[in-house]
Parts: sequence; structure tokens; C-alpha cells
Amino acid sequence: MAKAKSNTEDYLRMYTQMVRIRTFEDNANQLYLSAKMPGLTHMYSGEEAVAVGICEALTDDDRITSTHRGHGHCVAKGADFKQMFCELLGKAEGYCRGKGGSMHIADQSHGNLGANAIVGGSMGIATGSALRAKLQGSDDVTVCFFGDGATAQGLMYEVMNMAALWKLPVIYACENNGYSEYTKTEEIAAGSITARAEAFGIEAHQVDGQDVLAVNDLTRKLVARARKGEGPFFMELMTYRYHGHHVGDINREYYRSKAEEKDWRDNRDPIIRFRAHLVSEGIASEDELDALNAQIEKDAAEAVAYALEAAYPDASEVDMHVYAA
Amino acid sequence: MPHEVTMPQLGMAQDAGKIVSWLKAPGDKVARGDALFEVETDKATMEVEAQASGYLTHVTAAEGEDVPVGKTIARISESAEVDAPPAALRAQADNADALPEGKQISMPQLGMAQDSGVLVGWLVDLGAQVGADESLFEVETDKATMEVPAGASGYLAATLAQPGDEVPVGQAVAVISTEKPERPVARGVAEKAPAPKVTPAPAPEPEATPDPAPRPGPATPALAPQASDRILASPRLRRVAMEKGLDLARLVQAGHPQPYHMRDLEILENLPAARPETQTGTAVRAMRLQAACAQDGFGAFATWAADAKGLSDADALLAGLAGACLGRTATVAVDRFGNRRAYDVPTGRSLSAVTASDAAPDLLLRDLRMSALTGVCMGAEDVPVLTLLKKGDGLSLILECTSAGIAPDQAIALLSEFAGRMHDPLRHLL
Amino acid sequence: MREITLSQAVNEAIAEEMRRDPTVFLMGEDVAEAGTPFKVLSGLVEEFGTARVIDTPISEPGFMGMAVGAAMTGARPIVDLMFGDFIFLIMDQLCNQAAKTHYMSGGKLTVPLVLRTNLGATRRSAAQHSQSLQAIVAHIPGLKVAMPSSAYEAKGLMKTAIRDNNPVVIFEDKLMYQDKAPVQEEEYLIPFGVANVKREGRDITLIGTSSMVQVAEKAAEILAAEGISAEVIDPRTIVPLDEATLVESVKKTSRAIVIDEGHQSYGVTAEIASRLNEKAFYHLDAPVLRMGAMDVPVPFSPALEDLTVPTPEGVAANARRLCAGEMIHAA
Repeated sequence: MAKAKSNTEDYLRMYTQMVRIRTFEDNANQLYLSAKMPGLTHMYSGEEAVAVGICEALTDDDRITSTHRGHGHCVAKGADFKQMFCELLGKAEGYCRGKGGSMHIADQSHGNLGANAIVGGSMGIATGSALRAKLQGSDDVTVCFFGDGATAQGLMYEVMNMAALWKLPVIYACENNGYSEYTKTEEIAAGSITARAEAFGIEAHQVDGQDVLAVNDLTRKLVARARKGEGPFFMELMTYRYHGHHVGDINREYYRSKAEEKDWRDNRDPIIRFRAHLVSEGIASEDELDALNAQIEKDAAEAVAYALEAAYPDASEVDMHVYAA
Repeated sequence: MPHEVTMPQLGMAQDAGKIVSWLKAPGDKVARGDALFEVETDKATMEVEAQASGYLTHVTAAEGEDVPVGKTIARISESAEVDAPPAALRAQADNADALPEGKQISMPQLGMAQDSGVLVGWLVDLGAQVGADESLFEVETDKATMEVPAGASGYLAATLAQPGDEVPVGQAVAVISTEKPERPVARGVAEKAPAPKVTPAPAPEPEATPDPAPRPGPATPALAPQASDRILASPRLRRVAMEKGLDLARLVQAGHPQPYHMRDLEILENLPAARPETQTGTAVRAMRLQAACAQDGFGAFATWAADAKGLSDADALLAGLAGACLGRTATVAVDRFGNRRAYDVPTGRSLSAVTASDAAPDLLLRDLRMSALTGVCMGAEDVPVLTLLKKGDGLSLILECTSAGIAPDQAIALLSEFAGRMHDPLRHLL
Repeated sequence: MREITLSQAVNEAIAEEMRRDPTVFLMGEDVAEAGTPFKVLSGLVEEFGTARVIDTPISEPGFMGMAVGAAMTGARPIVDLMFGDFIFLIMDQLCNQAAKTHYMSGGKLTVPLVLRTNLGATRRSAAQHSQSLQAIVAHIPGLKVAMPSSAYEAKGLMKTAIRDNNPVVIFEDKLMYQDKAPVQEEEYLIPFGVANVKREGRDITLIGTSSMVQVAEKAAEILAAEGISAEVIDPRTIVPLDEATLVESVKKTSRAIVIDEGHQSYGVTAEIASRLNEKAFYHLDAPVLRMGAMDVPVPFSPALEDLTVPTPEGVAANARRLCAGEMIHAA
């Protein structure tokens, strides 16, 4: 889908998707803070260029595995607001019929294999999806999203070893937002992140995760090569999360300063940067982009209203889907 | 004959009891049913009744002493005088004294997880000379049979186990003397009576009571009925009793030991609606006869009969052995765990002629060998009831009947013959 | 009918299904040329090649997780876990991922995979190669658990497992691989959740899993010689469990012993005993007994190890006590 379009369309779509993620998260945050949303949730705000830059390089046949911070991946891989908000609120029309919630949200029909609430838990799944593609002669590629914190899990090393041995079409996308829950990444990770992949002979790249074009450009190249059997690949995407580890993580100055957060928001925001690029390149005017934003906000507000009114699953669904027929 | 007073088992997991106090002093006259001593277990303190009448003698346990279950703590003797020890004890003591001097040879440890061995046979004649490396006896463990060398040179002065005896590892099985023994000793591990002891209850004693009024003392060591407590019964029996409108409390009143299971249903159903006063000039007397068998030969016999003769129904064999003791054609029912199967037993000794039957039984065999019960006193029923209980390696047999159902001399003959057949079923065929 | 070993039965089942369905593949440690340490899979790589019979590094969580991903995207992997004890290594992938994916996705994703592994002590393999961990897996909703008791069951259950659309864990008794049983040449499947009444009886029901079925059958023979008639039932799968057959049997006999080689506490035996208690209480004439492995790590020394597992003699002794109406554990 990406290839057939002009740059303008691609760019506007990437902008739209990033704003949709930001808008979705802002609404989710409000739902949570106003106690309308149960459970706990992890905001993707600030990392939009990573999900969008990567997913815009993929087709619906390509698979991704997502994380506990997965709303952004879900939107970027083509999900609809209504079913997403329904899922966050535990409603029957949610993508997972209200059984997954924020941490397992996924629009499976677009190749999202699910958000995983175990840090690093999806690395095997992504690599296995790539193994299946190779065994069955399919040319689809699987992208495994995970955070810097997940590089501390042993599973990653087991599956990267096998992916490299068997040249599997998988791309490991490490979203390095600088913090492993409530701890600076440099306090939990010795040495270089990319060197971990390189040790297995996997080609690894570090890229500015706040630059959607850079992310998209690199991903397109790697996906194309992976389809030809040159995988696996590893990307370390340098990014930042604006919120705490989860929505309730308000008082976080003990692990990072407000000044640091302000600096990222003001100077390195992926949407502000890309918007300036679109305007300066004459791809869209400020007014056009404002109108786009307004439409997205309206869509989100309608979806929230819909989800708030939507029905909960019937009690008879509680033991449905434990086993497949 | 003196009666040994032992520490009773009063709870299921109890292995000792403390003597709180003696309620009779040595030399006191004691009647069966008298409270004899008071025992404390982890659960409660209770009085233990005398099981025989006579005089309390040979008290070996003091007040405050913890005594293992089953240990003899006194005797009830025929006279108040401290008489001679019972024959069995005397024999044991004599034998111990008479054991020749020499090196004791023990049952060796032959396997990793073995704690006893069965003596298969002696390979040296008693009194004969034997070398240290010569095989002295043959032992069977769970793994194999092997010959054991004497380990000492001399003369086989004593054998302390007979072929077939199971001997704990480390226990002496032989004595090898340096001098040729004058009187070599041969003994079994247990002092076994060569023939089964049959002890019909003496008529004047309350052993053969008129058909029982509820007995105050439990006839068995199972839980005594507890007046205020709930009745211990299986869920199934409770349900069936409720469906049939039967009251389990009547089993308690009848002195039937708890817990109750389906096997007790029949007894409950057969309890008379209202028990008439007994002993009102009726000539019918209830009888309870008891016999002991030193060994239970039936299991091996049943295996042999199945293998050699194709008679695979062990119950039919059991019914045949018992029916033959009646001396006439009879229907014998075998009752086990509430399951009853009846057989027609013709006269003669042919066990293959025993056939399954639907007829009402003339004799009921109640097989409780697999139970924990050590005694029963259920009261006579319409037909004689012969109860089989396990006792050590052997059997305890109890016949309960009425004089209307079977003449006293026939009852004695029945039980005596049956005991003999259970001890050695091959006798039946000879 | 021809007789084949349990090992051959498993091999045949996998080969037949791999021929039938090209999406079926096999992965695990030393499954190809080596054919596993127990030689169960010998010959498969020759027929299906290394693309479908995949030797993995010693990375149990890694290849288990990959099997989940392959299953979610259209393949039917069979994972070979060399020893049942290694289940502890793959717990996240098995229990958090494979077991929950179908449910968490609202029924949209399925995970049709088979984890074949083993159980069973008395192979002198000590505490980390002798466990019987089926209860731990059976505890997790979303997983099915099959426990073949002979070559016949091993083949029929394996074929059903491969065709099932859920993660299925099959525990083979590693001491039974060379045990032979009649297995027909013609294709057959054994449905899950259908117990097999191996022997009919009237006095007591002996429910055994895996090799404990044989223990129960031997106990039944001992008991028969004593006039006690024991019914022996093999549930064949513990998830799903054919509760109805077990309950009906116990309603008939009113007594039961449940035998499984997992540890006694919190085990398969406890689960089945509990269900019988709930569903057949008013038909019980004695408490339902559990007989599992002792609650100790499996010891190495043969003298000790043999003490830890249920034996026919032990089962028969307990059956005798129940049938005699002895009051058990109720001092």
C-alpha cells in the first residue's frame, strides 16, 4: 500500500497516524484519570514516529508483535478508534471482545499478533511468525516491537540466535525511550544495545526515533531485504515517553527531571517536527493540518462517546474462547 | 485358663495409652464387664472393662505408665494366687533357657530395601557338623532365593526358624556350637500350635449369651458408640437409609460398631422393630462359638485351585469348604462388603460341583478378613452366620447361631471342621 | 493385530500427520538426525527434511515461543521438550502466551500447537529429570493435556492433538517407550475427553493416568484373587476430563482411588477426587483416596526412588482398606 502512493499521500498519512495516536492517548489518559477506564494503561505519547515510521513500511500481510505500551502500534497497524476505545473500556465490541484490555489490544485483521504484557514476552512469537513465513515460502516480514527494558530478558538472545542461524525475516525494533519502568536504561543495560544483536551477526542500526521519515526510510530498506531472505535485522529507535511508566506514575522526579521531559516535548516532538517539515516543504498548510487535527479530535470524541455507551459483553462470554473449536 | 489383659486400641491412630488408674487391685475378683482400669489417650480418658471373669493377677503396668497398644499388662486368672505362667510363656522361657551355647547366626541383609527374609529350608541337618563356608540355609527375599553360608564352624546346635518363617533381618536363626550338642533345639519364629485351636464357648459362661441385649462393652476395638456425637456413616449409607426410612441410630443402640457403611445396611434392615424381652421361657438359645486358625491356608489353596483345576471363583471354593462341614446339601452365601453371592454345595468333597444359586442360604459366611475388625458379636440371625476375621497370620472364626437353627453339637462340629479346612484346605480333599 | 512400541506409535502418528498436512512441522533439541535421546523421532528427518524436522539450540523458551508465533500465523508446530522437567523453563511461553492468546484476542487468534514431553520416575535420573508435572500444566485454562497409557493411546491421541486448534501438551511416560501394544494398521484417532474403561468391576473404581493405568490394572488383578472386583478407568486426557464416565463408575462402585505419578499434593489426583466428591458424594461409601508420588524431590538412589511412586501392591492395600470399611485418616 505504501509503495503505490505519492510522497504527499504517504507523508500526510504518516502525519495523520501520528496525530491519531497522540489524540487516542490523550483521550485514554482522560478516561483513565476520570475513572471511566478500568485497569492500568501505558501511554505511547512521544513515541509516535517509531510505530508510524515502521508500520507505514509494512503491508497488512506483514505481522507485528506489540507491547504493554501498545496503543500506538495498534493504531499504526490500521486499527479503528471505536473498537479500540471499546476494548479499553471492556466492551463487547472491543477488538478482543473486552477480554484483553489496554495491555492486549490488537486489531488482528491487520497482522497485529497482540500486545504482550510480559516484558519481552513476544520475542518468541515474532520470531516464530518469521519461521512460519520461511517454512511456508511466504514473503511477509514480522516486526517485533519491544522496549529497552526487554533487552534484559534472556528470551531475546535465544530467539535472535535462531533467527540469525536460520536467516528469518524478522526485524527486532527496540524502542529505547531511556527508561526501564522507573529506572534509567543506562542503569540496567551494560554496553551497547545494538552490539547485542551484532554478536549474533545480525545487522543492527541505531536511528532517531523522533524522525518519522528516518524511521520509515530505514524500515522500508530493511523490510525489502528481509523479504529477500537477508534478515534478520535489528533497529534501536531512540525515543522518549512523555508520561510515566503507566498513567498513575505521576511523581517521577526521583528518576527523571521535569526539565528533561520539557526539553523532549518542546524540541524533539515527532509531530511538531514533522508538521514543520510538511509546511516548509509545501506539502500541507497550517490550516489544512489544523483541520486534519480537528477532524481526528472529533473522531476520537465520537468514538469515546460510542464506547462509553456500548454494551459490556454478556456474562455468557466469560468462558467463551478459552478453547478454540 | 488365664485371660491376658492388654492395652486396647481405642482410636484409629493410637499406638499407646497411659494407665490413669487401676480400678481393681491385684487379687481382686473380677467379673466380665467390670471396669478394670482407666486409660488416657490423646482424645479422651475412658474406662476399660474386663473381658473375662476371674481374679486380677500379674499386673505389670503401673499407674501413670504409657503402654503400647496390644501389650499385656495383667492377667485374669482362675485363682487369686500368682499361679504358674501360661503354658505358652513357660515353653518359650524353657526354650530360651535350653538354647545351646554357641555363635548365633542371624538373618542377613541381602537386598537394598529388604527388612526380612523367608527361610526356605535348612541345608544342614540339626546337630550335624558344618563349616564356616558351607551353605547353612536358603533364604528368599523379594528379589531372589539364595544360600547363606554358616559363617562359623561347629555344629548346628539350634535352628530358630522353620521353613516358611519370615525372619526380620538381624534376628538369630541358628546357633552353631563348638561342641557337639547333646540336645539340639529346633524352633519356629513364632510358637505355633500344630493344629488349630478350637475354643467353643463354655455353655455356662456368658460367651454364649441369650440373643443379645445391647452389650455395654464394645465387642470390637472399633469406635465405641458415642451417645451425643453424630453417627459416623458413609454418605451412601446415609442416603440409602433415608430413602428406605431407616434410622442409623438404631445401629448405635444395638451396639454395632461405627463407622457404618453399605455393608451394615442389611443389619440395620434386619434389626427387629421392637426387641421383645428375651429369656422369657423360650427354649431357643443364641450361641456364639469362636475358633482360631494359626494359619490362613485358603489364599494359597485358591491360587492352586485356579491354576491347577481351573476353579477360579474363590468364593465358590470358600462356600464349598464351609458347606461340606454341614454334612448335608446346603446353600452357602458368601457376604463381603455388602455383596452377597450364594452357592449350592452338594454333599461330598467335589469343589467343582459347587454352583451359583439364588436360593436362600442355610449358612452365611461373612468374610471380614480384609477388615480391621478383630471380633464381632452381632447376635444370631435366622441362619447360622460364620464370620471370618484375620488374626496375625491366621484366622479368627466366629459362629453365631441359635439352637433352633443348628444343634449345639453340630455347631461345634461345623466350626471345628471349618477351622481345620481353612488351616489346611488340602485336608478337605484328603 | 500387529504390536508396536509406544515410541513407534508416536513416530507413526507424527509421520502420518506430516504427510497429511504440510503445515505440520517438528522442532526441538536433537529431533532430526539424533531422533531425540529416546529415539522416538528417528527416521522423520529422512522423510521430511530438515526444513520440517528442525534441530534447535538448547533454548527451550526460545523455540517454545517461536512455536507459539508459528502456530498463531498458520503453521502447526510440534515442539519436542526433551524432559518434562524443562516445562519450568518454558512456563511463560506456554502458560502466559500459548494458553491465553485465543482468549485474550477475543477468539480471533488460535494457537494450534503440540508440546510433546514426558513424565515418570524410576529411571534413576534424579530430581531434575524425573518429574511428572502434568498437574501444573492442567491447572492453566487454555491448555489441553493428554496422557497416553499405551502405544495405542499414544498414536491416537497424538494425531488428535496435532489436528486440535489449541495448544495441547502430551506427556509420554519415558519408561514406556519400548512397551508394545496392539496398534491397528488402519488410521484412527482417539477423541479427547473420552475415558476408557479398561476393566469393569463392582467394588471399587481405580482411576489411573499414563503408566498408572498399568499399576491400577495390576492392582485389580491382585484384588480379583481376593474376591474384590475393581473397575479400572483411564481418562486418557485430563483436560478435557471425561467427568461423566468417572462419576458414573463411582456411583456404581461407591469407592475410588485416583492414581497419578505427579506429586500427591495439589495434583491431578486431588482434582479428580474432588470432582468425585462433588458429583458423587451421596453414592460414596468410603472417602476417595489419592495416590501420587511422594511430596519429595525425586531421589537418585534406587532404594529411595522406588519408594516415591505408587505401586500395584500399594493400590491394592488401599483398595482393601476401603472395601473393608476401614475408617481412613479419621482417628
